[in-house]
Amino acid sequence: MDRKVRSALTILGIMIGGAIIMALVASSSGLSAGVNSQVSKIGASTLIVRPASAGFVQGGQSQYTLSSQDTEILQHIPDVSLVVPYYSKNVQISLGGQVQSGTLWGIEPKMLPVLYKGLSLMAGSYPAATDPTAAVIGNGVAYPVNSDSQLIFVNQAISMNVGSTAKGLTFLVKGIFAQYGSVLFTNIDNNVYISFQAAQIILKTPYYSGFFVMVDSPDNVASVQAAIQSQYAANVNIINAGSIVSSVTAITTQMTVFLGAIGAVSLFVAAVGIANTMFVSVMERTREIGVLKAIGYKGSQIMSMFLSEAVLTGIIGGILGTILGYGLAFMLGGDIPLSSFGRGFRGPGGGAAAPGASAPPVFTPELIIFCLAFPILVSVAAGLYPAWRASKMNPITALKYE
Amino acid sequence: MMQSTPAAVRTVDVTKVYKIGHLDFPALRGVSVKIEKGELTAIIGPSGSGKSTLLNVMGALDRPTTGHIYIDGVDLRKLSDDRLALLRNRKIGFVYQSFNLIQRLTASENVQMPLIARALDMKTRQARALKVLESVDLGRKSNKRPSELSGGEQQRVAIARALVTQPTIVIADEPTGNLDSKTTGFVLDLIVQINKTLRTTFIIVTHNPEVAERTQRIISIRDGLVDKDQYIHRLDSFSGQEKLA
Repeated sequence: MDRKVRSALTILGIMIGGAIIMALVASSSGLSAGVNSQVSKIGASTLIVRPASAGFVQGGQSQYTLSSQDTEILQHIPDVSLVVPYYSKNVQISLGGQVQSGTLWGIEPKMLPVLYKGLSLMAGSYPAATDPTAAVIGNGVAYPVNSDSQLIFVNQAISMNVGSTAKGLTFLVKGIFAQYGSVLFTNIDNNVYISFQAAQIILKTPYYSGFFVMVDSPDNVASVQAAIQSQYAANVNIINAGSIVSSVTAITTQMTVFLGAIGAVSLFVAAVGIANTMFVSVMERTREIGVLKAIGYKGSQIMSMFLSEAVLTGIIGGILGTILGYGLAFMLGGDIPLSSFGRGFRGPGGGAAAPGASAPPVFTPELIIFCLAFPILVSVAAGLYPAWRASKMNPITALKYE
Repeated sequence: MMQSTPAAVRTVDVTKVYKIGHLDFPALRGVSVKIEKGELTAIIGPSGSGKSTLLNVMGALDRPTTGHIYIDGVDLRKLSDDRLALLRNRKIGFVYQSFNLIQRLTASENVQMPLIARALDMKTRQARALKVLESVDLGRKSNKRPSELSGGEQQRVAIARALVTQPTIVIADEPTGNLDSKTTGFVLDLIVQINKTLRTTFIIVTHNPEVAERTQRIISIRDGLVDKDQYIHRLDSFSGQEKLA
């Protein structure tokens, strides 16, 4: 019974070490993949230019403003292919007697599939740029979270309040986007899109929320960003999707290595446990080893016998650890808080927390194979010396052992 | 009479010197004996006489310092450690005073252990183990663990384990030392019977005169040398018949 308890505890040590590696590496890989997929939706050739937050603005203004003249300025920067101004405001959307938070975007609706790769309409069509009454809604607006069925259909009206600026706004839904998810600081599924001109009239402001600046090639993004920076200094925030990817990749790589090292250390500790257990086992079975040698077992057969016990420990611990790590990874994985990329960056409308994005863990074949094989290797290494000692025992001395 | 087959065991002027610190301790000082196949021989002697050392070198568990040992005609000096292990597996069986069975294994599994070293398949091993256990009247207890068997039964399992490879010799070191007198008698009867029916050579180290009396030949060791070597029963008339001396 003692031997079984010892074996179980040894396996537990290996299992925990393997599970830690699996869970932490898969979680950080998921985080990296989640961010990368978010950013890749907008592409590496697009910059987002927004007024800096209050406090960062030079000249003592409360908030820097961008308007139509800035469209011209940006358009004249070399290598810029397209400048798309937009408005965005937080709204409270009335849906089936309930209110759901979302964002109202004033942007040329037909530009959206250009800006967001893979975005498409599930139903309906894009409204005309001059139509102030029409809107295209995100999938999560048509299928609210609390509802099992579609609540809004094409050619139905949708009502919302834009804070104190505009209450009781009503639009006719012309199109509904297919499910898309979050991109950087906004969740397409929760948004309502009206034309740029309509937003200008409704929101009664000539000042834009920001610009999408499309560069002709990813290679020229850095120079365009520099040009914008030199034009506007600290008065604007520039979001560069490509550099976000690089920064996140660098951070998550370091994180993965660090977390993997933690897991490896715990496996090493488990290996020490295996070696200890095996030494005790060899000692307890000294007489048995003597008998086996007397009846004709070679040293190599004795060594194989003990090593195979270590291997079995590694196999069982590795399999159980991989399974446990798989479950743990999902418990650790969660939302990516993307609202804090860039200095002074806030959600649209200013002040409201930007939506996060889910980052499920990523289990690559290499990670799974590693988490299965590494514990076995560790167990064999730990068991090697005790098994060798057993093989070299003098049978006469061993037979006399009490 | 010319022997056409080699002796079961032959030692030629064997010495064994142990180094204890700076001192040399000569456990054997030139032992030459020849034990033919089928003999039932006792080796007796006081403590420290060298009888256990002689047993160890005869059983290929230890190497002599000088001299030669032949098991079934094979010179052990020429063999590597691995080949000695192979020889022990094929030609030598061991029976110990404290039985030395593996407690977590059943009687059948204990008996199969020498066959596992030979990498025989499970079915063959199990069949041979059962046959040998039946020959020592333990067929019905083949699934019992040593803790579920009496001392005499455990020793019979140990004897079965020694016999399962059909060895040339069985070396028994005080095989009845842990048994009561009645069980001692049963075990000795079994050894005598096996020797008679299978012609297995037995070499029994003992300090018990009653055990020695049941054998055919007694070799007495004293101070690392053969003191006396005499046949007490005729080789082919064994079964309690005429005693020679």
